[in-house]
Formats: sequence, structure tokens, C-alpha cells
Amino acid sequence: MNTSGNFVVKLGGWGLSKILGLGRMGMFLIYAINGLWKPPGKLISTIKHIYFIGHRSLFVICFTGAFSGMVLGLQGYYTLSKFGSEGLLGAAVSLSLIRELGPVLTALMVTGRAGSAICAEIGIMRIEEQIDALKCMAIDPHSYLISPRFIAGIICFPLLTSIFDVIGIYGGYAIGVLLLGANPGAYWDGIYKSVGWDDVYMGYIKALVFAVLTIWISTYKGFYAGVDSGSMGAEDVSKATTDAVVISSVSILVADYVITSILL
Amino acid sequence: MTSEATSIISVRDLQSFYGRRQVLFDISFDVPPHCIFVIMGVSGSGKTTLFRHLIGLKPTRKNAVFIKGEDISEWKSSDWQKYWQSIGVLFQSGALFNSMTLKENVALPLQVHTELTSDIIDVMVEMKLYMVGLSGFSDYMPAQLSGGMKKRAGLARALAMDPELLFVDEPSSGLDPITAAGLDDLLISLKDAFGMTVIVVTHELESAFKIGDYMLVMDKGRILACGTPESVKNSKESRVRQFLERRAEEAGQDMEAYLQRLCSVRSR
Repeated sequence: MNTSGNFVVKLGGWGLSKILGLGRMGMFLIYAINGLWKPPGKLISTIKHIYFIGHRSLFVICFTGAFSGMVLGLQGYYTLSKFGSEGLLGAAVSLSLIRELGPVLTALMVTGRAGSAICAEIGIMRIEEQIDALKCMAIDPHSYLISPRFIAGIICFPLLTSIFDVIGIYGGYAIGVLLLGANPGAYWDGIYKSVGWDDVYMGYIKALVFAVLTIWISTYKGFYAGVDSGSMGAEDVSKATTDAVVISSVSILVADYVITSILL
Repeated sequence: MTSEATSIISVRDLQSFYGRRQVLFDISFDVPPHCIFVIMGVSGSGKTTLFRHLIGLKPTRKNAVFIKGEDISEWKSSDWQKYWQSIGVLFQSGALFNSMTLKENVALPLQVHTELTSDIIDVMVEMKLYMVGLSGFSDYMPAQLSGGMKKRAGLARALAMDPELLFVDEPSSGLDPITAAGLDDLLISLKDAFGMTVIVVTHELESAFKIGDYMLVMDKGRILACGTPESVKNSKESRVRQFLERRAEEAGQDMEAYLQRLCSVRSR
């Protein structure tokens, strides 16, 4: 076969493998959802994962939330003061946080902290044959390993987003009002008058979608770490973890645009 | 050895592939019930692939593997669940869950598949740990155990549901001779006391001849010899002799030919 023929064959093979990968990923999600109703019970396991994904992400969420709010307060004050509209600072900070920055930055932080750890943990279980062992004990690995993490993610992401938003609004208040001297009454009144339930729902819808994306991609990458290469080594886990963080982060940003364009 | 009708596992012309690479070629054998059946071979001979077919971790084509006379390629999900509940599998690494204590590891299949109360499960777990010589270690985490203890703990978990078929992958690899001998004795007593059928994958000759009632020797995805330990010992097949006599590959001759070829290329 000539060079161009070989190129077409390779391109076709690459395309087919990607389509098969997408199909496998879709089936993985279906098995995880189906696993929600299968034994064993998931209460204790879910609580453990809520602690890991939620409680242990609190510090980083509070920290990034506070500084995001402070930057918004600083930038917002200087921009608005050029037009004599410092009174709109509260509205600008809160709407930016609730609609966009809160869900996106929370998801990115949790992906970096918990998503990578989830992927690495499941990847190590794969290369140490623990997932095979579960299957051979007639325990569905999707139900036992993946489903509780989905429940935990779906519970934690909106809560963490709420905490991020609240801390961010207080961060904006600290800089805009306490440091730069904006009117405190105008700050809170601006939030009260401008933020509607639609904005809050949009933030929560985003948080839920990002939760599913992050947990789905992280668990999938860990679950199939080394399966395609057949090598099942530490390198496969490291590659899977990197892929999980990169793909989750990009997917969050793409999904953010899509959801915003649909809901606006 | 035994007919398909009386055997617990029958394999007929099994072929296996990784992508386009064929790793098993027309494997056929029967495993009689209540015996220790040893699958031997050098590294890369396909024994672990065969093992994975038998425990259902690798799909099998039609009419290739029969368990108790049933073609496993036709099994539905519920049949697999039933099969997996009736077997025990000890993986090479032990495959213990690192976040659980030994007790929790061994109790897991009992908690999922039985209605037993936690008190009874605790007693059963203690019994299984006692059987493998790990009583008193129930609250240890896997990270606190040695390699041999991890394997024994894995065996305790494999025995938790009192399986009629036990699959064991490389039980003595990486273990000191005393621990390895202890594991061998344990497998023999499991067969004798409980009538289990045990399928062992190993490349340890001493262990294989000590425990095996029947043996299968593999090389490059093909069967070289199959039968009783005596018949395998008396095999005239050169690769079997080489394996049994622990003779290294004749790499020297290959190297010499390679060097000669290299010299002829350079002199041109």
C-alpha cells in the first residue's frame, strides 16, 4: 500500500478507536447510574466520599472564593468608579460569582484536588487487580466504586459552589466597602435587587453538570487505566490522572459556554 | 484423563487474542472435580490469559469453555453472577482493598451476598482467617502485612463464600520457601477436607509437583503436555524437558550467529 493509503488506514483506525472510546464512556455512565439501585448499600460509602470530595475541599474553596471575590471587588470598584456607578458593585460581584465564577472555579478546584485523587485511586485499584477481584466476587465494580462517588459529587458540588459564592461576596464586600469605601447599604441593596432565582438556578444547574462531568471523566479514566495499552503500570495511572484533570477542566469550560448560551 | 461429561471445566480449541496478536492456540483440556489442576509454563506462555478466560474476565467465543457442561459464552449476566458467587479467586498480588482492614476485606462478599447478621459474619471471618493462619490480624490494614500474609488474606477472602471451585494465580511467587510450603499445604487440605476443585497457575516446579493431581504445561500459547504429574515428568517433548530440567535458552548460539552477521555487514 502506498504512503497516502497507509495514512488513510491509520486515520480510519484512529477515528474508529475514538468512536469506540466514546461509546465505552457512554456505557460506563449508564452502568454507573444503573448501579445506584444495585447492592451493596451505598450510604456509608457515599458519606465517606462526601467527606473526601466536600469536607476536604472546603479550605481550598473558601480560600479561592475569598480571593476571587476580593479581585472582583477591586476591579469592579475601579471600573465602576470611572462612571460614578460604585453603587452597582454588589450586583456586579454577586452576579459574576453566582452565574459564572462560582460554579466554574469550584469545579476546577475540586477537579484538581479530588478528581485527580479519585482517578489515581481507581487506577491503582485497576492495576492491582482489585477491580477484577470485585467482579470475581460477583460485586458490580460500577455500583460499588463509581455510583457512590457520583452521588457524593452531585451533593457536594452545589454546596461547595454556594459556599464559594457566599465567601466571594463577602470578599468583594471586604475590599469594595471596607477598604475602598463603597457604600455598604448600596452593596447589599444591589445584590438584593439584581440577583434573581434564575441566576441561582443557573449556578446550580452548572454545578450539577460539572459534578457529573468531573466524576464521570475522573472515574472513567481511572477505571480503564492501562486497559488499552495492556501494560497496567504506574505510568498508566499517571497518564490517566493527567488526562482526567485536563479533559475535565476543558469539558467544564466548554459545558459552561453551552449551558450559558442555552439558559440566557 | 476425564471426559467432557464428568469434568467440572472443559476447554475445547480455545483461541485468544490481544488486538490482532494471538496468544492462545487451540487449547483443549478437561478438569476433573475434586482435584488440584496445575497450569504451568514459562512467563509469557499464556497461562494468565487462560486463567482470565476461566474466571470470566476475558470473553470467550462459542463452544470453547464449558463449566459443568454449560457453554459460558451463552451465559447471561445472572448466570455469571451465580458462577462468580460459587468460585473463589486468589489473584497474584492478593488484590486486597487497601482502605479496608483484613476483617472488612474478608467480610465483603458475605455482607453483599448473604443475609447473615454481622455477629455471624464476624465469626465466619475469624474462621477463615484462622484457616489461613492469620487469626489475630483481623484489624490490620493490608499495608501492614508482608507479601505472604497478603496472599493468605486474599485466600481467606476467596474462601469466604465456601466456593466449590478455587482459582489461584501464582500462589508461591515472591514468597520464602517456608511460607510457600505453608500455602501449598493449605491448598491440599482445602481439597482433601472440603472436596474443592483447585486450579492453580504457577511456574514453581517444586510446588506444582507437590500439590498437583493433574498438570498442563504451556509454551507460547500452546499445550506441550497435559496429564498426571507422572506423565508430565516422563514427557519426551524437548521444551517440557527444558522447563522441567530448568535449562536456560541457548542464547549463546543465537548471539554468535548475530555477531557473525554483524561482522559481515560491517566488512561490506
